[in-house]
Amino acid sequence: MARFRLLPDEQQARSPLLLLWREFARQHSAMSGLVLFMLFFLLAVLSPLLTPHDPYLQNDTLLLIAPSWSEQGLVQYPFGTDDLGRDMFSRMLIGARYTFGIALITVIGALLIGLLLGVLAGMSKGVKSSIFNHVLDLALTIPSLLLAIIIVAILGPGLLNTLWAIMLALLPQFVHSIRNAIAEQLNQDYVTAYRLDGASNWQVLTRLILPNIWERLTVTATMALSTAILDIAALGFLGLGAQAPTAEWGAIIADSLDLIYVAPVGVALPGLLIFTAVLSVNLVGDGLRNAMKKRREN
Amino acid sequence: MNVSFGQIILPAPGRRFLPLCLATLLGACQPQLPETVRSGLVYCSEGSPESFNPQLVTSGTTIDAISQQLYDRLLDIDPQSGELKPLLATQWQVNDNGTVYEFTLRPDVQFHQTEYFSPSRAFNSEDVVFTFNRIMEKNHPFHYQGGGNYPFFQSVDWANLVERVVATSNNTVRFELSRPDSSFLSNLATDFAAILSAEYGAAVLEQGQPGRIDSHPVGTGPFRFKEYQKDVLIRYYRHKTYWRELAKPEQLVFDIVPNNARRMAKLFTHECDVVAFPRVAELGLISQRPDVDVQESTSMNVGFWAFNTAKPPFDNAKVRLALAMAINREAILQAVYFGYATAANSVLPPTSWAYNAELPQLPFDQTQAKALLAEAGYANGFSMDIWAMPVQRLYNPNALKMAEMMQADLAQIGVRATIVSYEWNSFRRKLSNNEHDSVLIGWSADNADPDNFFRPLLSCSAAQTGTNRANWCDANFDRLISQALLTSDQKQRRSYYMAAQQYLAEQMPLLSIAHSQRFQALNSDISGIDINPYGGISLATAVKDVK
Amino acid sequence: MILYLLRRLFLLAFVFIALSILAFSLGYLFPGNTLQNFTGLTDISAELATQLTAEYRLDSGYIQQYIAYLQRIFSGDWGLSFASKQPLLQEIKILLPATLELAAYALLVSFFVGIPLGIIAAIKPEGIISRIISALAIAGYSIPVFWWALLLIMLFSLGLGWLPTAGRIGVLYEIPHVTGFMLADILLANSQHQAEALLNALRHMLLPTVVLATFPTTVMIRFTRDSMLDVWEQSYIKTARAKGLNRVQVLYRHALRNALLPVIRQIGLQFSTLITLAMITEVIFSWPGIGRWLIDSIYQRNYPAIQAGLLVISTLVISVNMLTEILHTLFNPLARKR
Repeated sequence: MARFRLLPDEQQARSPLLLLWREFARQHSAMSGLVLFMLFFLLAVLSPLLTPHDPYLQNDTLLLIAPSWSEQGLVQYPFGTDDLGRDMFSRMLIGARYTFGIALITVIGALLIGLLLGVLAGMSKGVKSSIFNHVLDLALTIPSLLLAIIIVAILGPGLLNTLWAIMLALLPQFVHSIRNAIAEQLNQDYVTAYRLDGASNWQVLTRLILPNIWERLTVTATMALSTAILDIAALGFLGLGAQAPTAEWGAIIADSLDLIYVAPVGVALPGLLIFTAVLSVNLVGDGLRNAMKKRREN
Repeated sequence: MNVSFGQIILPAPGRRFLPLCLATLLGACQPQLPETVRSGLVYCSEGSPESFNPQLVTSGTTIDAISQQLYDRLLDIDPQSGELKPLLATQWQVNDNGTVYEFTLRPDVQFHQTEYFSPSRAFNSEDVVFTFNRIMEKNHPFHYQGGGNYPFFQSVDWANLVERVVATSNNTVRFELSRPDSSFLSNLATDFAAILSAEYGAAVLEQGQPGRIDSHPVGTGPFRFKEYQKDVLIRYYRHKTYWRELAKPEQLVFDIVPNNARRMAKLFTHECDVVAFPRVAELGLISQRPDVDVQESTSMNVGFWAFNTAKPPFDNAKVRLALAMAINREAILQAVYFGYATAANSVLPPTSWAYNAELPQLPFDQTQAKALLAEAGYANGFSMDIWAMPVQRLYNPNALKMAEMMQADLAQIGVRATIVSYEWNSFRRKLSNNEHDSVLIGWSADNADPDNFFRPLLSCSAAQTGTNRANWCDANFDRLISQALLTSDQKQRRSYYMAAQQYLAEQMPLLSIAHSQRFQALNSDISGIDINPYGGISLATAVKDVK
Repeated sequence: MILYLLRRLFLLAFVFIALSILAFSLGYLFPGNTLQNFTGLTDISAELATQLTAEYRLDSGYIQQYIAYLQRIFSGDWGLSFASKQPLLQEIKILLPATLELAAYALLVSFFVGIPLGIIAAIKPEGIISRIISALAIAGYSIPVFWWALLLIMLFSLGLGWLPTAGRIGVLYEIPHVTGFMLADILLANSQHQAEALLNALRHMLLPTVVLATFPTTVMIRFTRDSMLDVWEQSYIKTARAKGLNRVQVLYRHALRNALLPVIRQIGLQFSTLITLAMITEVIFSWPGIGRWLIDSIYQRNYPAIQAGLLVISTLVISVNMLTEILHTLFNPLARKR
């Protein structure tokens, strides 16, 4: 079958992606968000290689060492140790894997399943799809954390269950966004033209629709990622997510809460990390959205 | 609802203060407070009570909250000497065999006048008979109310020990025992032996709501019950016709705050006047603050790790010894108790007269532990649960942390431990069903008698009632502790208890970890509260110095 | 319009049926004995078990069981709580107003702070004030609510000692439960010390409200700003400007009205988020509401309570959502066509 080249931008010298990047790079906040995001990503991947100490090793002789910036601190333990003598710095690093890494995995999982369901919903028509859409709209109105709490209540606490719960809870917004994007695309003239040329549904989907909606998907995914990080941390904090001794940031806060007067670092630092991680994701998401808007305007 | 606007408009003094106070909304603003608020005392406790009847419970949380506030007992224990003192009984006599006790009761003791009950008569012998028959007689109308379990009394074999309780006159009562028991009077002085009202019992029975006897209590104690919101608070008011000196606080509120950090926070913000069990880690910090004081006293208690000896592989003494040897108790003492406890070598604290000082120290030796495991046929280790109680108790300030440390220790000898914890009341319920492999829990003495450590914790009768967390029933051990009760000769009793401790060290149904000091933190404007080394706390004498 | 309403109501009914089926099936999905999960009784004797099985139709098919379940829900027999042995419906009636009260104040704050800030940010989108507001908004949007609450407690309660850390009112004030809304109850309680009690309650309320309002406020700021900027680009505004109306006049007469219409829709969406965040806020501030109760019930494996709590919260969230959507459509005829 001959290759059709129908995309209007095709002939232009500058690709839309490059345009997008230029607009994105122009925003300082978005760029700093991206740098932070990459840092967290690298941390999540490489943290086992970076930790100076075993984050789970209890050291009876080094209980509750103060952070190294205080006078009683030790250089080897930059953030001090917790009440079981575990190195806080290593725990923070490894925590990136749980809070940030698991959130990333959750979002990717939800994205893939959402893509499948969204495509099915978007390409189908009739009463079935109408009911499906309405139910979806309502599922959307239930906040993801509430859904996650419901699912954890059924499955029982634990990090793995949290992963499933949040994945399920994020699903409606992906399906919704993908379905709408597809429905929008299906109304475009170039899709009709392609169809008239005898293209099958599959070809329409892979050649036209998906390339056109991925940017929107990325924005949805960044929003989902910030939700996922907050939810994992919140469930960890409530004791419904990651269980001790797992070094998940939310769980560390809950764990350190008992010692808030003696070692406030245990509460302050993981919270700051969660905050920064979510902020970086939100900055990237906002930057992307702005860049897309600006590109459209130009 | 008939509410006119006249009522909604603030009363004159209030109106004068309101703008002033709004201006200083953020600051401390204390205009003339109502008497109930001004002299009211807030005690922040660590958990909800299970019931309002001390007969039905064992947990110290419940005893602290209800026993000495609402009820009186026949006898009391002197906190200093540990000797018995008269309370509702003014005097008592024993026959030569030690099997018949006769008590003379105090006259003019009034029961609480509450919204749901108005007593028509003072306390008399009928109430004593009613109280104790409920425990002993299966056809007593209230015996099965609340499940028919009287854990403390069952653990001391009360039903077989006491044959009859007879009211010999309006103010004398006779207890007839089937055998002499040297711990009998001490048990009557425990917080569990609170005196209920027979008249109230009849009233609730007539109303067809027998359950109210345990949920809406009536006693003779310094405070009367007002309301209870589960997991939120218990509210008491002063008993205005109390037979002793009236309670100092007009209102007493138990604010239920299970989280330790939050309890401390409430102490620092003066939302609590007294907090139960301040975190030992923060004691140094508290003593630096001028507005908060810490009280300390030695206490008869033990924190331990009990194995469910009915479940394999814990039915094997070698396995239990191996597990016990693998634990670094010295580290636990530092990390969990922050040094505010003495290492335990026996269930009995060293301050007890029956303590066996010659007991060899259990070594911390993981190689030997491994060898023992191999001998028992578990060379490759096994998986087990460690149940860690979710609340802070005197004997164990942080069971979860302790469990995490033990988890790491056990991994060294190839035992894979999982930590299990539930909310306190479900935890205790599941524990009583013996669903656990092992549990971190403990015991605080209710009286000075050493029997109080052995029988409620490790006897066969306690295994049936579910206070025996090791689920241990051993004929040898039971014989030793029963024989100790038959005599009142302290030397002879001591030799039995020494042998019992020796036997426990060999069998290791539970690993004793520490005897902790008891702490209580309070605002420095509160005075008049003493810590009792035995059992619950009394708040009737607390004085709030209002500025 | 009527057709639209009918369609919405039909959908609502459908969702409630789906919800009740879910709640019903939880009785089976939860671990443990199904009869216990439904009744909330923990020790059931053999004869009582047969009697209850018959009453709950557990011996017949799932459909009969479900119908029996619905009948119980509507007749107010929601079973007992494992933990307190109290009827669940009664517990919920006491707890729900506390949550609603907190959520309502937070929602009000988010409107009265969020919308003006959003408008200010939209007037000069590149200005310094607007940038600060946007920066604050994205920070507030990213902050984990539990951490934020802890920071505020550490500063205002523990550090400065200005505000209490927990509860709705000092425990020594005994306020009888009438409406369940604390401020109303204080006014109804005919006590001599209303002013003190009221002040005390307000001081208790301040921190939780601020914490809970943070997220919806930032959402309102972002939403109002974007909405205003969008409207600003519309041709009718440009026309109005061309006609010589000044900025404020345009803003007031044309832009605001059109920009704020979608805000009604936001109430519904914000409400559901609020309820979730309220659960965490309640846990931290020991606020005796339904969120804390539900999370405690999860700790306690109190299955009947989880079941009932979910049913109530989801029903509430969905109803409010549907209501605001209908209201929005009522004010905005354009939305009906969609």
